[in-house]
Amino acid sequence: MTVRQSLVSVVDDDESVRESLPDLLREFGFVVQAFSSAEQFLASEFVLETRCLILDIAMPGMSGPELCRELEARHQAIPVIFITAQTDQALRSRMIDQGAIDCLRKPFDESELIVALKIALRSH
Amino acid sequence: MDIDLGRLVDALPGIVWAGSADGGVDFVNRQWCEYAGLASADGCGVGWQDSVHSEDLPGLLRQVQQMLSAGASVEVEIRLRRFDGVYRWFRCSATTLTAPPAHPRSWCCLCTDIEADKRAEEVWRANDFRLRAIVDDTPAMLTLMTPEGKLAYGNRYMLDFFARPLEQIRRKEVFHPEDSPKVEARWLKSLQTGCPYDFEARLLRADGVYRWFHTRGLPVRDAEGRIVVWHLLQIDIDERKQAESLMAYEKRVRKMIAADDPLPAILMTVCNVMESMTACRCSIVLLDSMGHLRSAGASSPPGSSVADDGGPGALAVRRNEPVIVADIGADSSWCASWRDSILAQGFGACWSTPIPSKSGGALGALVLEAWQPGSPTPQHQAVVAQFTQIASIAIERARSHEALRRGETLLAEAQRLSSSGSFYWRPDTDELRLSDEYHRIFGFAAATPVSIERLCSRIHTDDAPEFVALLERGRNQGGDLAFSGRLLMDDRSIKYVDMVAHRSNELEARPLYVGAVQDVTSRRRSEETLSKVRSELARVARVTSLGAVTASIAHEVNQPLSGIVTNASTCLRMLAADPPNLDGARETARRTIRDGHRASEVITRLRELFVRKDTAAESVDINEATREVIALSRTELDRGGVHLHTALALHLPAVAGDRVQLQQVILNLILNAIEAMSGVEDRPRQLWIRTDLDDVDGIRLSVQDTGVGLEAHGEEKIFDAFYTSKSGGMGIGLSVSRSIIESHRGRLWAAHNDGPGATFSFSIPHDGAAASLHRSSGADPVSPQQPPRYS
Repeated sequence: MTVRQSLVSVVDDDESVRESLPDLLREFGFVVQAFSSAEQFLASEFVLETRCLILDIAMPGMSGPELCRELEARHQAIPVIFITAQTDQALRSRMIDQGAIDCLRKPFDESELIVALKIALRSH
Repeated sequence: MDIDLGRLVDALPGIVWAGSADGGVDFVNRQWCEYAGLASADGCGVGWQDSVHSEDLPGLLRQVQQMLSAGASVEVEIRLRRFDGVYRWFRCSATTLTAPPAHPRSWCCLCTDIEADKRAEEVWRANDFRLRAIVDDTPAMLTLMTPEGKLAYGNRYMLDFFARPLEQIRRKEVFHPEDSPKVEARWLKSLQTGCPYDFEARLLRADGVYRWFHTRGLPVRDAEGRIVVWHLLQIDIDERKQAESLMAYEKRVRKMIAADDPLPAILMTVCNVMESMTACRCSIVLLDSMGHLRSAGASSPPGSSVADDGGPGALAVRRNEPVIVADIGADSSWCASWRDSILAQGFGACWSTPIPSKSGGALGALVLEAWQPGSPTPQHQAVVAQFTQIASIAIERARSHEALRRGETLLAEAQRLSSSGSFYWRPDTDELRLSDEYHRIFGFAAATPVSIERLCSRIHTDDAPEFVALLERGRNQGGDLAFSGRLLMDDRSIKYVDMVAHRSNELEARPLYVGAVQDVTSRRRSEETLSKVRSELARVARVTSLGAVTASIAHEVNQPLSGIVTNASTCLRMLAADPPNLDGARETARRTIRDGHRASEVITRLRELFVRKDTAAESVDINEATREVIALSRTELDRGGVHLHTALALHLPAVAGDRVQLQQVILNLILNAIEAMSGVEDRPRQLWIRTDLDDVDGIRLSVQDTGVGLEAHGEEKIFDAFYTSKSGGMGIGLSVSRSIIESHRGRLWAAHNDGPGATFSFSIPHDGAAASLHRSSGADPVSPQQPPRYS
């Protein structure tokens, strides 16, 4: 199944996210790569393979939205699901307006994540 | 008996001759011959006449003729010339010799030497004349009164005084009606008892003026002790009486001055005195402080304005010299309104004399209005001079008192305004004097004496031991004293006072403390209020700035929560797999627990920041506190793209203080630094946080950024509340931060970097330094230094 073979990349400076989220995604059958920063992701060989990007917004160095713009600039259109610990209500709609699949507020429910992942993967 | 008549006549103790009516003598006795040194024949015929003084002879012959015609006897005093040419007085007793009718009458005479008697009489006459002259010229009344009290004699002085004959002088008419009854009583008593009479009374002079006389009367008694006559001496004592009453008046006025009677009353009395002494109307005009003339006695109500119309009184003041208008009616140079009015009142003259001031100017004028035209007599002038001086003293004294009162009022007002009172205290006797304001501050009834015990009882019981110890020190050691403490008022309210006392050695030999007390309650209250406001502001600022980093904090909390939820989900999935992935589930469960603790820690720290509490000083490890703040600000730093460097010195001593407040300051500095670098694009955004020991026993923390830096000369201004260089920031953060650091006896400052940006630093004395500070302040037990306050 194509879904099972899809590579999902997680970019988050928080270690507990990088620990827990890939495990959960793997339970759903995804192939997962975790990166601690946008720069690290961009530098990796997984950019082209990545079918969906689960991306933290606030990170040291390049932020999530900045990574999006960078990928756009490279014409690497990867569906993006933002995750954020920030409580700003307006943030989600702003991110969706800018082309994100969704913007999940930490802590998020696994069902929310799966819904967003399905939308992201279906779009391709 | 045959008697030789010739021998008999010769033996008589006197000169004898006998003659005929024609003046011839046919017999002279031997005494005549011996006396005259002539022979008997020389005396016969008219020869005897030669021995009679030529002045006496015609009288003698005339008398003899008359005697012979009448056939009577006669006595004549004549002078007879002695053998040595000296005339002596003789009494010549002549008698007509009986002869037969139609026979020519003859006469004889016996002359006895009365020279001694005549001498004595002459002496007496001369004396009498002299006495009369003395009596008449004596400048006093000399009177003789009969034992019944009838006037028997009065000297010329007396007759001149009354200007009428003695017999027209009636005692009841000449005495002053006020004195008459007393005079009668005294005189009657003297007449009845014979005791000397001594009394003073007024007698009416012919010109209608009463003058004072002192009368002394002594009885003259005969050999049997019966009173024959009263000798009375009456001396004019009017001038003495005047001087006496003048002195009495002056004494009265001076007494009023000394008693600080109101000036109008004193000047009114001066006017009354002048009126009784001069029989003129008297008034006083005064120059007030504005240079206006005001009435000060007698004619118009005190204080009322006097028309400065060029009348003599006003002129005397303005010119500062006497103005004498001797005849108002004849002097038309004065303004009509004054002249008409004064003439209408019947006055003829007006004499105005300036009342001199100490500096030589005129304080006002004393105005006398006389009924008759004329100039003041020397007596008037003397009285005027005397009483203008007294008026001057009264006015100057009243004015200086007024100035003093005004000064005292001002001082009292100043004490009231400054809420400060003054006092003195003698440590040897505990004598205590407090100013009115001192009474008010301490809640003592005004003007009641206060003992040192009463004073002590007012001090709050917690502060009383210190106060009592201070008093002891004042008694035993001396030196200046200072006290800062509380009063417990009757209504249980608290007052804060500061008291200082200086031991004065200059004023007196005895120890004396002079001091002041100030009610600083309102200052304390505002300090407390300020402190509350400050802590409120700190809380607001805390919440505000934390509000500004809500995202960061939420991030911090949500991060572990996210891990928990994800791990738990994973765990469930692993357990639900077939076969269950137990190892994986265990691992994720362990992570869940770990993240749970992490979240809990974050929440605990947040609670400390959010929950306001009045804290006591605790021992704070600055490095640890800094690390916590850095952890909290991590997100903000990341978001701001700031690269953080830390250089926290090892083994720093702890500081005493409020951990959360200090963390608040550190957080403020970090957030400010991030803010300052937010617009910087041309250089790395770098932040250094350093801690170390500074040079003065303090721990220093500095936050250095590469931001926009301080505005020129803005180092201090940025600490002002509400000053902000940020468009959306809360500038209050820095001023609150500074308050917090200062309440920890530290300081907070900003400095330009050598390169771009600024460095904000604070330093706080560490625990060891704080202890030594405390010791040094403990050396002075009266230091008003307060322990640092934490609120």
